[in-house]
Amino acid sequence: MVAQNEKTASRNQSKRVHPAHRMGGVHPAVAEKLTDPGWAWAAYQPDAQRPWNLAQAGHLFRRAAFGAGWDQLQQALSDGPQRAVDKLLRPQADLAVFNRTYDGYEASAAGSIDGLRAWWLRRIIQTPHPLLEKMTLFWHSHFATNSLKVKNPGLMLRHVQLLRSQALNSFRDMLQAISRDPAVLICLGADANRKALPNESFVRPLMEVFTLSHGHYTQKDVREAARAFTGWFALRGRLRYIPREHDGNIKEILGESGSFAGDDVVRIVLEQPATARTVVCKLYRWLICETEEPDAMLVAPLVESFAKDYDILKLAETMLRSNLFFSTAAYRRRIKCPVEFALGIVKALEGVVSTTQLGQDLAGLGQNLYHPPTVKGWIGGRHWINSATLVGRHNLALALLQGSGPYADKLNPWVVAKKYGCSTLKSATRFLLDLFLQGDLDPDVYETVLKTAQAPAGIGSDDPEGMLRRFAHLVVTLPEFHLA
Amino acid sequence: MSYTRRNFLKATLGASTLLSFTPAAPNFLVRSLMAAAPRRDDRDTILVVVQLSGGNDGLNTVVPYGDDEYARNRTTLRLPTKDLHKIDSMVGFHPRMGAFMRLYEQGHLSIIQGVGYPNSDRSHERAMRIWHTADPDQPGRQTGWLGRAVDSIWDPDSTNAPAVFVGPIAQPFGLNAERVVVPSVRSYGDLVIQEMPGRLKRQSQWKRAAELPRAEQDNPLTHFLQQCTLNSYTNSRRIEAVTKTAADTFEYPSFQLAGSLRTVAQLIRADIGIRIFFTELGGGGIGGFDNHANQLGNHCALLHHLSESVAAFIHHLKRDKLLHRVLLMTFSEFGRTVKENGRRGTGHGAAAPIFLAGGKLKGGLLGAHPSLTDMDNGALKFAIDFRRVYATMLDRWLGFKSRTVLDRQFELLDI
Repeated sequence: MVAQNEKTASRNQSKRVHPAHRMGGVHPAVAEKLTDPGWAWAAYQPDAQRPWNLAQAGHLFRRAAFGAGWDQLQQALSDGPQRAVDKLLRPQADLAVFNRTYDGYEASAAGSIDGLRAWWLRRIIQTPHPLLEKMTLFWHSHFATNSLKVKNPGLMLRHVQLLRSQALNSFRDMLQAISRDPAVLICLGADANRKALPNESFVRPLMEVFTLSHGHYTQKDVREAARAFTGWFALRGRLRYIPREHDGNIKEILGESGSFAGDDVVRIVLEQPATARTVVCKLYRWLICETEEPDAMLVAPLVESFAKDYDILKLAETMLRSNLFFSTAAYRRRIKCPVEFALGIVKALEGVVSTTQLGQDLAGLGQNLYHPPTVKGWIGGRHWINSATLVGRHNLALALLQGSGPYADKLNPWVVAKKYGCSTLKSATRFLLDLFLQGDLDPDVYETVLKTAQAPAGIGSDDPEGMLRRFAHLVVTLPEFHLA
Repeated sequence: MSYTRRNFLKATLGASTLLSFTPAAPNFLVRSLMAAAPRRDDRDTILVVVQLSGGNDGLNTVVPYGDDEYARNRTTLRLPTKDLHKIDSMVGFHPRMGAFMRLYEQGHLSIIQGVGYPNSDRSHERAMRIWHTADPDQPGRQTGWLGRAVDSIWDPDSTNAPAVFVGPIAQPFGLNAERVVVPSVRSYGDLVIQEMPGRLKRQSQWKRAAELPRAEQDNPLTHFLQQCTLNSYTNSRRIEAVTKTAADTFEYPSFQLAGSLRTVAQLIRADIGIRIFFTELGGGGIGGFDNHANQLGNHCALLHHLSESVAAFIHHLKRDKLLHRVLLMTFSEFGRTVKENGRRGTGHGAAAPIFLAGGKLKGGLLGAHPSLTDMDNGALKFAIDFRRVYATMLDRWLGFKSRTVLDRQFELLDI
């Protein structure tokens, strides 16, 4: 592979661009099929019009993971798309051991939320199953529970463990567990549900945000569902059921009537097709595209299937394998959240940085893990970006790459380039463009970026390491690198 | 009051009306409307909010020396009449607030007396939460009033940060937004692009790489990120420029708040589109203005910091001819009890005064001083709901829609 890379670099040099790496425009025949659900959700099989290339592999790792190192990209290239997806969905590593180890670290740090935040980021960097963490983060934003309100790191720890344990399993089980999670109830102000004073603080977001979404329930449904949840309390951080506080009378919820309890409410909302649609559309935004809402026809087969079993792994699998996922309709059609931005740099350069510092810096960019801003989670998208947060990203990237300061010398682009066979500055710069952006830049931009490294002042320097740090920083602050 | 071009266009045309007759609308009009939306207007107004944490004793800030009840209730904390800066025959500023007195005389300071809300809460956390959410009826409200304000003006092409928190503490909840990310900074340097040491002039190269047109992809996000990257570069250069000029040498006292306000002034001068600044005095949590014992000395120092810092800020902006665009507002989670508590301190109270400072104020006193005998559980009764002050800031000063932020229309004040 080492020699190959040098060869790739020299070949591309003569051609100016990397045609094999570029995504290119949509072929007219493909564009038409994108709206056909049958074709869109069928497994992607590369062909001449839609070849499997480095850009596609990079895309897969940005969405189903937090970026990738060079050997992962190369391995995916030789595996082909479906096998690469297999490995992300069901890695062969011993996950149980890894997660047990990290659960132990977290348990010992559970006195402080900053400690938990640091261990989670560390887990994301080192996990053999990054998709699991990607989905845990997705659910953390979906069931947005803020530690500032819970004020109990131990409960927050258990909350995120619950999300992780179900992140790729059953949405049904997860919702059931969420309805009994003291962290969620405390955060929402639903820690007391008296018979005489039914509390709507949990059931309202349950219907509005977690499941049905606006327009698919009435105020009466909320009131009645609140009665069904009476009797449940979170007292001193523990869930308790007090039978005499439960209202056992008949309730009418979403067209059904009975002497329902909380579990029945969960069952009833799961029977509504609107619930499956809410989750499918939200996951579509997370895994596929956030620039356009999916057409109802397009997602219909996914919604129908998800409503039957609420199998999250199956849903994610369909999305990640699909023609749509590997099309220009998805490619770079999301803005990276701060975690993805920073870890995209860290993963590519194969280092482990101080995640205590990183957790704090990511909070400054708007993504404070364990502290989603409201019950609606991180809305993200263009909201991540304004001139201040972009300066923040620029400066964080600099801190990560400069080789000294709070992140110390954990990431070294020159060392990584040499590891993969680059011996000259010239080949190393091309390598970094491939590593971070799979070389997929507009030809003019590509050449301009390369020239910055070939400027006389740069070449004259006898410090390739420093030169490459500056070059890497330039690459990860290009507009394209902020796109997932 | 400011009347921006954007408001003018909105008022005269109305966004929806224009859309409906777009095909017939003259091109220049459409163009200027399009340009008005995302572009910064240098006549845009700026609101600076200063939080006084801990519950400021309004009674020893704007002192009702003309009322005998004051001296009767404040046996040890009573401020000598001769030392006060007298506003009229009834009230005067605390002796250490000479700077505020001068601002008042220059017409740059207004006092809104007796501001509060019904059924006042006496817990720091809950009361502060109420002032932040502007929603006493919904203790679980998830957003702050300024957070909702910036969410309400967000548009998909905006590339500036509309609000910033300046200070060393955690960002106050008042800025909590559902959508917009509001940055926290300690100094202007946090908004300046840093460079790695080296000989390359990287900023300009980076800018060139960012601004080159991207030919073949019709990805709206790429375009947006390009715009924003360039804007962050421009804004960063603007900040550097204003902080490196001689104009930046204005003298500020060496108090924490003065430092924060100096940063605010620098960012206002850089003109980078920030409409709302939030800063703080008192340490953020319990402490600061929360003087249950031996209040006199500590309160003196805090009021001195407040008055000197704000005065320096106002004079700085005045010198730079920017004061007409700026309005500063103070608030605290509550006032103190009228009667002192036997430990030379005071308990948690209710209504208190709010200060406004700026270049376009009518000045003077708004509202009467609350009665010292007809009280709300030992503390001053409010006469002006704080949401009327907020609504006035939003509607009259910023040109936002207070109704979307505060859920209903509050009566505006004539400031």
